[in-house]
Amino acid sequence: MRFDKRLPAVFVLPSMTVLGVLALVPTLFAITIAMQDRELGQLMPPSFVWFDNFIQLFSDRRFLNSIKVSLMWEVVTVGATMAVAVVLGTLMFERTSPRWRAVLCLLCILPVLLPRVSAAFVWKFAFHPLFGAATYPHRALTGESIDLLADPAMALITVALVDVWQWGLFFAVIVLKLLETLPKQPFEAARLDHASTWEVYALIALPMLRGPLISLTFVKMIESLRAFDLIYVMTRGGPGIATETLDMYAFSQGFIESGRISYASSMAVLMMIATTIAFTYLWKWTRR
Amino acid sequence: MKRRTLGSWFADLALVAAGFAAVAPVLWTLINSFKTRIDIATSVPRFFFSPTLENYAYVLSRESTFSGLTNSLAVAGSAVALGALLGLPAAYALARYPMRWKNDIQFFVLSIRFLPPVAVAIPLMVIWLGMDMYDSKTSLIVTYTLLTLSSTIWLAVPAFKRVQVEIEEAAVVDGYGPYAVFWKVALPVAGRSLIGAIAFSFVLVWNEFLIALMLTTSDAKTLPIVASELTQLGRDVPWGILNASVILLSLPPILLIGVLNGFLNSSFKRKS
Amino acid sequence: MSAIQCKNLVKRYGESTTMVVHDFQLEVAENEFVVLLGPSGCGKSTILRMIAGLEEISGGDLLIDGKLVNDMPPRDRGIAMVFQNYALYPHMCVADNISFGLKRMKVGADEINRRLAEVAATLGLEPYLKRMPTELSGGQQQRVAIARAMIKTPKVFLFDEPLCNLDAKLRNHMRVEIARLHRALKTTTVYVTHDQHEAMTLADRIVLLRDGRVEQVGTPREIFEHPRSKFVAGFIGTPPMNMLEMAVRPDGDGFLLTSANGTIRVSGERYALAGKDRVSVGIRPVHLELAPPGKAQNVLFGAVDLIEYLGNDVQVNLDHGGAELSAVVPARQCPQMGERLGFCVKEEYVHLFDIGSGASLVREPSTSLPRRGDGLPAQQVAA
Repeated sequence: MRFDKRLPAVFVLPSMTVLGVLALVPTLFAITIAMQDRELGQLMPPSFVWFDNFIQLFSDRRFLNSIKVSLMWEVVTVGATMAVAVVLGTLMFERTSPRWRAVLCLLCILPVLLPRVSAAFVWKFAFHPLFGAATYPHRALTGESIDLLADPAMALITVALVDVWQWGLFFAVIVLKLLETLPKQPFEAARLDHASTWEVYALIALPMLRGPLISLTFVKMIESLRAFDLIYVMTRGGPGIATETLDMYAFSQGFIESGRISYASSMAVLMMIATTIAFTYLWKWTRR
Repeated sequence: MKRRTLGSWFADLALVAAGFAAVAPVLWTLINSFKTRIDIATSVPRFFFSPTLENYAYVLSRESTFSGLTNSLAVAGSAVALGALLGLPAAYALARYPMRWKNDIQFFVLSIRFLPPVAVAIPLMVIWLGMDMYDSKTSLIVTYTLLTLSSTIWLAVPAFKRVQVEIEEAAVVDGYGPYAVFWKVALPVAGRSLIGAIAFSFVLVWNEFLIALMLTTSDAKTLPIVASELTQLGRDVPWGILNASVILLSLPPILLIGVLNGFLNSSFKRKS
Repeated sequence: MSAIQCKNLVKRYGESTTMVVHDFQLEVAENEFVVLLGPSGCGKSTILRMIAGLEEISGGDLLIDGKLVNDMPPRDRGIAMVFQNYALYPHMCVADNISFGLKRMKVGADEINRRLAEVAATLGLEPYLKRMPTELSGGQQQRVAIARAMIKTPKVFLFDEPLCNLDAKLRNHMRVEIARLHRALKTTTVYVTHDQHEAMTLADRIVLLRDGRVEQVGTPREIFEHPRSKFVAGFIGTPPMNMLEMAVRPDGDGFLLTSANGTIRVSGERYALAGKDRVSVGIRPVHLELAPPGKAQNVLFGAVDLIEYLGNDVQVNLDHGGAELSAVVPARQCPQMGERLGFCVKEEYVHLFDIGSGASLVREPSTSLPRRGDGLPAQQVAA
């Protein structure tokens, strides 16, 4: 195709400029703020303290806890989501007729469309100790109420459940569609090769989807970072600091508790550096 | 070959459970939005009750709901429009034209999604405060354009790539200039997928919470913020009202389910 | 006992009443190489897949080795299949592809390696064992697919148009390989193809199918020399048989066939022409001989309008009063364009078919009746 030299420039430059400005300005500014001592509502102009905030972070017990919580959150949600997606997607592919398949697909993409706030609330209501529908079986069997969100051991899992509810079901639909794009004949050959049904999936179908599945895991890892909404509505980081992820802690520091936005910004900057490095690495690795 | 084994019973059960789990919580919330407080606040879930519309009436009559709704519509709509306006041409150029930094540009666009919202929101808040534009719809629109632009480009590039090159080449042979090829050929043919991409970016910013939380206090509050504030009304929580507001908040994305389902299907169609 | 018995097999799709395969009967003897041949959509692949167990049988019985297998899963039927697109496992190397089946059957590692080495040697795959399928050419991939089938030492081999994705030269080569393999292993084989050349060279018996029904079953020679219908006659043989409509007039103890530009006299005892006034005449181009000059009876005339050089021979197309006739003539007797030529034919090479039904009008002497065991009713010839 004959290529017009100017079209790429005309089409691409405006959006790249906008993106560049919108992305880089806050990023650079965030780094600047992190090196200052700003506080919300302060009267004096801020001064530079350079790396004081960062140094302080590393001896902040709550910060270290928030890193631990964030990592746990990533591992639990990504692992559970991919497990649900693969198992459910495979079951849907194997067992459903086209009509039911379309119905199930529609149902399963419903949760992910909900605003996180809505999903958080829907489940907060369902898990309500006194009149939640999900806690009803426990009340009926033991006569006691149970407050999962107030239990430090269970709170993170409970919030993670909501995340997996939204994303696991959605990814199951994607896995289903991916399985549909595979050629059928290697599966037939495998059946003739004495493979049982689950062996066909475990040894042939899913390995053939290795690439897309890795990409999906990657996408979920990025999405899991955005779980602030869920935690904010369901537990606010509690009980105590059991569900306080990194972004929750940064937000608390900057807004709720002390207005120390420079301190909060230093956390955010660290988060940004860590995720950029980690994901760039992963991205290059998945592209090989 | 369709023998009923124990395994297949379990599998079907799991599927039914999944479908149920997908939709039951939302349906439960929907049902409860029509209940009076007494009907909700019982230990045993109640399915038979006399429905009432007072929850919805309350929510819809509040000023903050109305302004939240209009703010959300205005902000999401504008950001999506800007994202499409700037993003679709860029995606087309990235999909079709050889460019020196094509891979880097695409990685850059993708890397924007790596940014934790918190990291972006804090400096933006300071900037908007400094420019005296804090708590305005404009500041939100500008901020959200970052999200819509990057996600539109990310989803539109594969959509344009799926258009058969031969169709565009035929148009060139027929005398269309490159801009006309984009406008009259590539856009319409990729149309359905592009609408899906745009719908996706709409859902993305409609549901966005953290950034809006940090960049607004009263005037420009979007609907998710308004909804979450209702959950903080002290000990005597008005569950019926909360359920109703959550349903209302979730309506626009849910209404787009058809479009998004179609988009999903077309993304995975095998090239025949 | 036959290796495979198909009794009244029927295939219907869904709840519709459209049948894709009608009342299919076939008995395949042990060690026999049977080819299911026919144009696209004739049901040959469907029948093969029913034998394999990849398609459900809508009606009738299928027996393999004397056992009813209608509801038996594919892996218990003792069969192995080679697919049209090879269907190799793309993420496994060649050795793992071939040994996949044995591993699933929990065969010991030593036994697997021994059989793998044997099979790889037979098919010349030793240098490729560690390669991935995408690194192999089409022919190599096909050999891997055959190896994968062979290693399981099945009772029956099923081939589903295995050569149609290969280029012509490779196809010839692989055809010879398959024939050699069959001679060595003697495994019962059912082979599906739409290429009549493959069928003629490989088959012990050919089953020619059209629209889900059997047109004829026989050895390649029987089908070539004694086609039972116009369809069979036209399908088998290259270049394809000439079909000419001619008028019939009784002539003494025989019949005279006339067309716009020629006559042929045929005997009454060989053909059942009583009561017919028109008939389809089939003559293969190689059986038309140049008439000696001056002969006017029993000759078909035509003007040459196309000459195709074939090497040893030329194929000549004639305009025979509006109809087309082809003949094959030795190259040294190559005619000129536009030249008017006459051809005659020996009566044994004249095939007559009913205009309406297409059925052969040749009265069959008893030696060329179908072999017992086909289960096929012989096409009744109107006496």
